[in-house]
Amino acid sequence: MIEFKEVIKEYPNGFRAVDGLTLTARHGEICVLIGPSGCGKTTALRMVNRLIDVTRGEILIDGQPNDEFEPEVLRRQIGYAIQQIGLLPHMTIRDNVAIVPRLLDWDESRIRQRVDLLLDMVGIDPSIHGDKYPRQLSGGQQQRVGVARALGADPPIMLMDEPFGAVDPITRAILQEEFLQIQQEVGKTILFVTHDIDEAIYMGDRIALLRAGRLVQYDSPDDLLAMPRDDFAREFVGADRSLKRLHLISVKDSMMQSVPCCEHDATLEEARACLERHHSESAFVVDADGILLGWVEKAALEASQSLSAAMQRAPAASIAVPEDATAREALSVLLSHSFDVTPVIDADGVLTGGVSIQRLQDLVEVPGIHAAGRDGRP
Amino acid sequence: MIALLGGCIASFGFFFLPVIELKPNRLASGLPVTLLEIPGDWRYLLLFLLALSPLLLAFLGVRNRRGWALVAVGNLLALLSLYLPALAGGVYLQGAEALFEAGTRISNPRILTSAAIATGLAGGYITLFAGLLDLEASGVSRWARGLAGAAGALLIALLLAGGALDVYSIMVEYHARGEALALRFLEHIVFVLVALAAGLIVGIALGLWASRDAKAEDAILYAVGIIQTIPSLALFGILLAPLARLGDANFLTLAREWLLLAALAIAAALILRRLYARLPARPRQFAMLAVFILALLPLALAAVLSIAFGFEVVLTVLTLPQLAALREATGLALVLFLLLMAAGERLRLERRLPRYRQWRFLPLLLAALGALILLAQAAGALLRQRELAELTMRDFGVSGIGTAPAIIALTLYSLLPLVRNTYAGLKNIDPAIIDSGRGMGFTAAQSFFRIELPLAFPVIMAGVRNAAISLVGIAAVASIIGAGALGDFILLGVNSTSIDQILLGAIPAVLLAVILDAALKLLESLMTSPGIRQA
Ligand SMILES: Nc1ncnc2c1ncn2[C@@H]1O[C@H](COP(=O)(O)OP(=O)(O)OP(=O)(O)O)[C@@H](O)[C@H]1O
Ligand SMILES: [Mg+2]
Repeated sequence: MIEFKEVIKEYPNGFRAVDGLTLTARHGEICVLIGPSGCGKTTALRMVNRLIDVTRGEILIDGQPNDEFEPEVLRRQIGYAIQQIGLLPHMTIRDNVAIVPRLLDWDESRIRQRVDLLLDMVGIDPSIHGDKYPRQLSGGQQQRVGVARALGADPPIMLMDEPFGAVDPITRAILQEEFLQIQQEVGKTILFVTHDIDEAIYMGDRIALLRAGRLVQYDSPDDLLAMPRDDFAREFVGADRSLKRLHLISVKDSMMQSVPCCEHDATLEEARACLERHHSESAFVVDADGILLGWVEKAALEASQSLSAAMQRAPAASIAVPEDATAREALSVLLSHSFDVTPVIDADGVLTGGVSIQRLQDLVEVPGIHAAGRDGRP
Repeated sequence: MIALLGGCIASFGFFFLPVIELKPNRLASGLPVTLLEIPGDWRYLLLFLLALSPLLLAFLGVRNRRGWALVAVGNLLALLSLYLPALAGGVYLQGAEALFEAGTRISNPRILTSAAIATGLAGGYITLFAGLLDLEASGVSRWARGLAGAAGALLIALLLAGGALDVYSIMVEYHARGEALALRFLEHIVFVLVALAAGLIVGIALGLWASRDAKAEDAILYAVGIIQTIPSLALFGILLAPLARLGDANFLTLAREWLLLAALAIAAALILRRLYARLPARPRQFAMLAVFILALLPLALAAVLSIAFGFEVVLTVLTLPQLAALREATGLALVLFLLLMAAGERLRLERRLPRYRQWRFLPLLLAALGALILLAQAAGALLRQRELAELTMRDFGVSGIGTAPAIIALTLYSLLPLVRNTYAGLKNIDPAIIDSGRGMGFTAAQSFFRIELPLAFPVIMAGVRNAAISLVGIAAVASIIGAGALGDFILLGVNSTSIDQILLGAIPAVLLAVILDAALKLLESLMTSPGIRQA
């Protein structure tokens, strides 16, 4: 746990980079610091491991003021990853990851094991890349090594300053996803600096929005999007905040169980009755096991002799979304087909429910009651 | 192209310039002999052919084969340019009486090497160089190229050792003065190394300071730059008076004063550290300056004493016969350590043998111990003759003329490249690297020794090489103030217009510079991490 208590940082030139920050990052959660450039994110972060001294106030780590430790001792217990990565170019990849364990005097065989484990974890094959030097790796690979190095001595706390800032968007998305998976395993308490709101929403358990050294709002991503506290926050999260919120909601949590649907061997009358019942223009067609086969339109039913002649067959993946998709993906499918409802299928292709436009509207209108946990994400 | 140049130079020399000069005695002017004038012997023809062959070989198409051919021809050309004229010289010497006009005083007639030998050597080595370039381009390994390039030089060394070139008057001179030359050579080496070591300590400290402290930065770089512009003779002169005075001082008295001064400086520094935060900007600067000046005097005194005495001690370590056994053992341990380092680096032994990292330092430890004992013994031998109370600074080697001012001047001259390169090397490190190091929990010292120094190492070494080479040159001038070293031969030679003596001083100096440069380069490449080595 990291607690900022009324922390003020005044640089020697009199500039207040952090101005009365009070903030708690709870055990095992990712707390994202975000805000415009120069708002004091990096300064706040670096005060935690005392790379910068606090002018007033205090920072507690698991309840203990951080100035009760020798700075070096403190830093060895806190993982540190920065945008510029800062791998030591004269050391091999393995030696880079081993830095903090060596500073802590672990014995070599344990270090060796730990290093290879970490490299594997971040997707770097130690037998191929372990003895290379940083300049022989790509930017994305170096970022991974940077993360592995920060995890080196298994610190309970990590400080990450735009750790994925220096790579292209596609690599960044991959790194973000992989890092969340790692975090699920290791459960660190993480202060994560970024200036990218999408990254903050995706990575953060809670987001602290800063402006000119002050905390504007500290909320879960969903609450921040649903109820930005002021104009600055509203502008910062963007006009498409409703769309962004959909990103946070999983289909499973938002779908309706009952959708217009009939088995493929049903009669035309049965099909018509189904449409009537749901006041719908179209219905989905499933087989005896409930697996989604396609759909049928009201107009087609009128003109055809049988249901199988009237129905349109389509691969389930092209018209439906899986249960673990986000509401935003469901909306996207909804917009690209003429259905009233996006069908939802489980891993076996069985139709389990659907998401309607009305339902999505309800979700984003009600502020912040659908805050999804981490497991609600892809 | 380059091979063509080599061939041209060598052929031109052999056709038009004298190879040797026959002098009836030390002073009279000599009788130049060109290759064509030497009475017939097929072997001299070989020289012409060799000299001309690069001109043909240059047009050989196959790169690899051309390379080897050029290397062979170059080596041979250099070798024979020295050897064949020596044979002819021997013949001329025997018939010397008959060659001069009657009445010429003939005493100790001698054979001087002349211009064509120089052009032959130059042509040979240019050709060799061209060949090596070809070999490099066709992917021959570095070791093979190094060996091929050195083959001729090795053979020449063999010829020298075997006495095949003894007819030349420079060799006659060498045999007469060999022992003195060896001592002067040793002095020269110790000179350069001690100055370099002292310069390194001061230079790295200053470079570090300049790179950390924006306020001192300009002043330091400017000061070491200024030193470089003082002509060496003037610097010797400036140092003469104060060092002469210092030399007369009684050691114990001075030591007492020194302790007082040092204590004062340390006390002042501690007080300033306490008050630092509370002082306003202006007085703070004055106080800093005052402490600095206070500290400067004891520091300078200590430096002068250790440099001057260090030279005497090291020279004694290297020459005193009683220390021979320990000396060799220490040297052996050091070589062993270097081999272990190199092997560890090449074969990655650290990975395979977990304890290797620690074990390989054992010989270094032994060498350090040996060196310590050697130094203590030598210091003891130097000071034993006197009672402690009677010791003056002169007994420690501090004096107005001689080695003390010379070596201090040398140290000062070495500062510019050392400070500049240390500064540049440290400044050019990506701040993110240092920041990440600090963030992971390196202490300031760990950061300096494990991150900054290794990263700045190649740049610092470039400065060390630069300094070493220029010191070899400046050290030769130092004999003007009685500092000995190879300059003695050069000065004597100039005074007695004896080209042989000049060469006897100059050739070892040049060799020393070349060898020192190569050795430092080797050291650099062994100790630079492959991760930052220039590709
Ligand atoms: N050493 C310093 N002295 C004076 N002012 C400083 C110093 N370091 C940073 N600042 C100022 O403090 C403010 C906050 O800096 P900080 O690096 O924390 O910003 P940031 O939020 O991380 O910005 P960015 O997103 O651009 O990285 C900036 O206005 C900066 O100019
Ligand atoms: Mg920043």
